[in-house]
Amino acid sequence: MSTDLSHFKDAFFEESQEHLTTIEEGLLQLEQRPGDIDLLNRIFRGAHSIKGNSGMFGFTAVSQFTHKMESVLDQLRSSQMVVTVEITDLLLQSLDCLKTLIDCAKSGDSPDDVQVARLSAQLEACQGGGAPAAKPSAAAAASRHSQVPGAHHFTITWVPPRYLFQRGLDPVQFIKELGELGSVTSVILDPSRLPALKDLDPEQCYLGWTIEMETVKDLKVIEGVFDFVREDSTLTIVDTPPPADESRGSSEGAKPLGEILVETGVVSQSQLNQALSQQKRVGEILVEQKIATPEQISEALKKQTEASAPAKKAETPSIRVDTVKIDRLINLVGELVITQSMLSDLGSRFEMSQLPVLLERVAQLERNTREIQERVMGIRMVPIGNAFSRFPRLVRDLSGKAGKKIQLILSGEETELDKTVIESIGDPLTHLVRNSADHGLEPPDERLAAGKSEQGTIRLNAFHEGGNICITVEDDGRGLNRDKILAKGIKQGLIAETDKLSDEQIWMLIFKPGFSTADKVTDVSGRGVGMDVVKRNIEGLGGTVSIKTSSGKGTTFTLKLPLTLAIIEGMTVRVGKDTYIVPLLSILESIQPRREMIKTLIGKGELVNVRGIYLPLMRLYEVFRLKPELSDPTKAILLILETEGERVAVMVDEILGQQQVVIKSMEQNFRKVEGVAGATILGDGTVGFILDVRGLLEIARRDVSIAA
Amino acid sequence: MPTGALENTTKDINPQIGLSTSGNQFLTFNLGDELYGVDILRVQEIKGYTAVTKIPNTPAHIKGVLNLRGTIVPIIELRTKFSMPTIDYTAFTVIIVVVVRDKVMGLVVDSVSDVLDIDNKDIQPAPQFGAKMDVSFLNGIGKSGDKLVALLNMDRLLTDGDVPQAGGAAATV
Repeated sequence: MSTDLSHFKDAFFEESQEHLTTIEEGLLQLEQRPGDIDLLNRIFRGAHSIKGNSGMFGFTAVSQFTHKMESVLDQLRSSQMVVTVEITDLLLQSLDCLKTLIDCAKSGDSPDDVQVARLSAQLEACQGGGAPAAKPSAAAAASRHSQVPGAHHFTITWVPPRYLFQRGLDPVQFIKELGELGSVTSVILDPSRLPALKDLDPEQCYLGWTIEMETVKDLKVIEGVFDFVREDSTLTIVDTPPPADESRGSSEGAKPLGEILVETGVVSQSQLNQALSQQKRVGEILVEQKIATPEQISEALKKQTEASAPAKKAETPSIRVDTVKIDRLINLVGELVITQSMLSDLGSRFEMSQLPVLLERVAQLERNTREIQERVMGIRMVPIGNAFSRFPRLVRDLSGKAGKKIQLILSGEETELDKTVIESIGDPLTHLVRNSADHGLEPPDERLAAGKSEQGTIRLNAFHEGGNICITVEDDGRGLNRDKILAKGIKQGLIAETDKLSDEQIWMLIFKPGFSTADKVTDVSGRGVGMDVVKRNIEGLGGTVSIKTSSGKGTTFTLKLPLTLAIIEGMTVRVGKDTYIVPLLSILESIQPRREMIKTLIGKGELVNVRGIYLPLMRLYEVFRLKPELSDPTKAILLILETEGERVAVMVDEILGQQQVVIKSMEQNFRKVEGVAGATILGDGTVGFILDVRGLLEIARRDVSIAA
Repeated sequence: MPTGALENTTKDINPQIGLSTSGNQFLTFNLGDELYGVDILRVQEIKGYTAVTKIPNTPAHIKGVLNLRGTIVPIIELRTKFSMPTIDYTAFTVIIVVVVRDKVMGLVVDSVSDVLDIDNKDIQPAPQFGAKMDVSFLNGIGKSGDKLVALLNMDRLLTDGDVPQAGGAAATV
């Protein structure tokens, strides 16, 4: 049972995460379109779902807090309040707080009550007045020490009349009705009047309840709920102020001495605070009296924190898949089953005359298998938009902090990437975006002086290129400062003064650990930590980072990530007797050149003119030292391949066809072979090699340089 | 009694040869008239010769790769490795699939011969030929009747371009 519940809890946390994202996105859009009721409704629904679900699992802190947010949202929705920057700010802050609360609920940590109380108070305050408290610090102080104005905490003790059921009334309805007036924090059943079973009259109500609730409504309204049964009920409603510090007060029952002294007027709050500030921690006292060394104390403290931190539950990663995808998969499996039964039926009474039927069904089987395989691979693919979704908020916060106006443009969100890759690029991307916002973009006055618009732009784009996914982070800021980087690099001893570096090599310096050219360190960036991490993370994924920059115009970081999937679409080609597979994604076109298209350089290097552009011609048989069937390019086939923006024409004897191939590792039993990305098993059971275009270029270049 | 037997076995092992106690059974095979042996525990299987796919830009003794039930296995021609003249493959030509440092590879040999038990006392260290011939890949030479078996040390035999060095482990075996 308990395991079942925890299973649902996991689902709750996952769903909450989605709702949180929805709310966040919604709130950010709300700033641009304050009057959009649909948007408000969407935000409201998100909050409402979190409230409902968290209540179901007993995460009262979450549900109570969400309730307060929901109330504000409700007023916005019903146009009782207008969306202002203050309200959005408050809601966003509350959203962060809610995130923390949910995280706490997940890990079992205790949340930051002070912050929760502060925001709760602000949320409530803004409901009444239409605008949030002008000075949050004052509100925070107020909420810590006194009760929130307008809010009541009622303790209701209700013993309904015996005849309750006979009148057709249900006690649950009353409690529900109370719930609509405010938030019911606890309902305690009093079964003390229940008689022994033999004396029990099932038509009588023997029960009583103690209900605690918080509401902004006053006593009269609460009493109104019980109007129908008032006369014969035993009903007491007490307006009790909530404990000043909920975390301590409610659990211990008794109030701290200081508070009682303040309440009874012996001392004032400020006197108490002063006294409290003089109070020292046990550890400090012990150190002062030289009973223990600071080391011993910190050791003990560490133990204490370790003991209080509950063992964090290991998260099992899960993936949410479109039902459409699943449905298609199920349909396909259905088809596969049908094909299989057709085949076994045919096989049980096969005659040679039925050969065409057999072939046709085998072809069908092949089609099914291929499609299922594609779909199954597709399940792991998630649109990159998920990784991008955090950036509008990030940029909004950054622009506030840095006092810059920043516009974020996202594109290519629909580009699909493997889930694991998406998870691991989040942090590097965040670093890059922060970097662009903090270092790349200039302050408004500097921008205006440079003749640019006041508002800076950061563009995030994702797209497929060749067999890779490219993600670019582009800003229209000041660009990288070549001299500054160079000077810093020399100063930090990364390069020697005499080194002659190309621009690219200089840009790459910023990826060195500890490198920063920022004049001042801000809390956003400038500590020289981050860019090295970006590079390391991306390279860990088998990708590359490159920089393009032009002074005064901006900087573009390009992350290139491989589609490290085990299956690729390939073109099988033949050279002599050997078969090779070229990744389809790297093929731009294939041509059979005419004589006049081929030109040579220094009598050796061959170039081919493809619609006005000369591309280097590489004979695969030369690179791989094979025996070709054809050595005349005009009779052979040229494949125009592209890798990392570089194009090359590769000469092969013949194109055999296109097929999907499963990549098998060469390294498992052998080692990496240059120019070969991997091996695969061809239709006839023999091994074929998948070409690595990049590697081919490198071999070709090296061979030329050796020859020269 | 059992202790005595144990002492016996341990004493029998010639530390120079460095053979394990795992048993002295060898799979023997022919290259021309010569007889070679590999520790039988290293042998995964023996299969008839089938065409392989040549790997571009690799040394000549690496014949190519083979699809062994879905895994890609490199095939080494032992004759070329030993700089012996190549011969045409016959129906007896086989591939001995061995495991070296967790990597599976195949050796093309003229024919398999036998599985022989060779006592430690019948194994003598490999003679040194100096610069004329490198015998570092021999564990020793064994006698079985009037036959001489060159016992191969797989770890030393398949090095360099054949198997990537795992931290220079090959030298210590």
